[in-house]
Amino acid sequence: MSPKTPNTSGSKSQADLIYEAQMRVKSRFAIGVAISWIVMLMLLVFLFSSTNIALGSFTLKTIHLDKAFIQENIAFIASGVEVTIGISALSILLATFLALLAALGRLSKFPPIYAISTFYVSLIRGTPLYLQIFFFFLALPQVGIILPGLWAGVLALGLNYGAYMSEIFRAALSSVGKGQREAALAIGMTPGQTMRRIVIPQALRFAIPPTSNEFIAMLKDSALVSATGFVHELMWRATKVGRAQFHNLEALIVAAVFYWIMTLVFSYFQNLLETRMSRGER
Amino acid sequence: MKKLFTIISLIIVATLVLTACGGVPKAKDLLTEIQNRGTIVVSTDPNYEPQSFLNTKGKRPADTKCPSDTLTTAEMQGFDVDAAVEIGKRLGVETCFATPSWDLVTAGSWADKWDISLGSMTIKPARAKVLYFTVPYYYYDAVVAVKNDAGITSLDELSGKALCVATATTYEDWLNGVLDLPTEDILAQPPANVTVVPLDTDQECAQAINVGRTDFVGYVTASTVVAANLAQGFPIVQIGGPVYRERLAVAIDKSASLPTDTLLAELNSIITTMHADGTLAQFSIQWFGVDLTQEPK
Repeated sequence: MSPKTPNTSGSKSQADLIYEAQMRVKSRFAIGVAISWIVMLMLLVFLFSSTNIALGSFTLKTIHLDKAFIQENIAFIASGVEVTIGISALSILLATFLALLAALGRLSKFPPIYAISTFYVSLIRGTPLYLQIFFFFLALPQVGIILPGLWAGVLALGLNYGAYMSEIFRAALSSVGKGQREAALAIGMTPGQTMRRIVIPQALRFAIPPTSNEFIAMLKDSALVSATGFVHELMWRATKVGRAQFHNLEALIVAAVFYWIMTLVFSYFQNLLETRMSRGER
Repeated sequence: MKKLFTIISLIIVATLVLTACGGVPKAKDLLTEIQNRGTIVVSTDPNYEPQSFLNTKGKRPADTKCPSDTLTTAEMQGFDVDAAVEIGKRLGVETCFATPSWDLVTAGSWADKWDISLGSMTIKPARAKVLYFTVPYYYYDAVVAVKNDAGITSLDELSGKALCVATATTYEDWLNGVLDLPTEDILAQPPANVTVVPLDTDQECAQAINVGRTDFVGYVTASTVVAANLAQGFPIVQIGGPVYRERLAVAIDKSASLPTDTLLAELNSIITTMHADGTLAQFSIQWFGVDLTQEPK
């Protein structure tokens, strides 16, 4: 046996071998998942391929889609994507702002503010979003506020998601240890400074991943805004061309594909964001 | 924190109040307002080919005066659309299309979101409580269509069956036995004990039958819709003749914030002229293949 020498070249150390074996398991798993995804995607496409396969006396039927209609109208439906993203982005901004206010209100020791916050969350979470969208469209004009359809939709979505997100923010704020607040107060910070400089920056790390999750949910809930008929987003375009030309199914499937692609893209960004936010963890 | 919260709340309230009070000074009536604006906002339901449907190839012109949540004439097509564009021309203004859902239009209280409805609306007393109607601009019949292999050949055989209608339409009223049209326009009584299935539009009824759903045997709709469904190759058949006549007119909201009498008079005179000079008849032949603008005898 040769004397033990540092392993600079040639044969690998035991640690390297174990590490490589673990990596192989990992990449084999990833490849397996990717293949399964592709198989499922192909099965899904096959389901809509309108082919009929005869197996003896039994025929396997798949769903028929009119390809000419899809080609004809895909560009028109697709032009709703930017409206959908626009509504969702504006609504999530409003929702974030309201959620932060409601969460801070929830931590307040002053009864009316605590009450406003809990009342808002209870009222909004206690009624359907679909109903709220019609409420802002129909009720506000009676007091002289005539918002364009888009803004009525943003207001409804923002208020609704704000109520749900306030719970996320509240949990994030209370996840910052009591010691942090006490320490900040001890070195002479005012409660406002403590909030701004100590609590909120740390709370954001917990709040951002679920907030981006809410954004992805909102991308799809924005479809409800089409109900009043004034916001020409993805769902509105799909239902209108589908109905008038008797191809609802094709039009809705085109919309579904776009919603899915949007979700995939935003989930990817969410993953990047989460990885970045978790870098601070030890 | 308390102070911040109060300040922000005050800002929100102030913004809402200012939005409420803002806006340009109002004209003396809706007609003048439309002329000053240079646009007339017409509500129509783009769910129906050939009455009103989207022109998916159309591009919004850059110089349009239409509000951002309305569609321009380039983005729409159909009989109702051509009639609305022509009315706009004769008023000397650009026509813009708002696309609220049908039940919001028939309910009135439009909150000035659009000026007139030109969407094949049947004149009926219940609607006339909340809307003003012009003279009719065309006419068609309500008919019943069923799945072609349902084995049903007359209205009587429909008793006890389920029928589909669009919600907030005269078809729904007829099936429920509460249709309040002049008696000379009602040509048949609804079958007894039918189950009414109200969907968003008539098109859902036709498509449900086409894809093989069996929740109802048929649907009640306009003869023009049945013709369009048949042209599409749907497995349906019309049973019996017309069940009632529909007189379709332009409507104006009674609760509009400006006086509407001058606009109504102007629209009546424009529609009468469009009947007399053959413009409406020409649109009708172009879109339906027949002239539906003559008053039925």
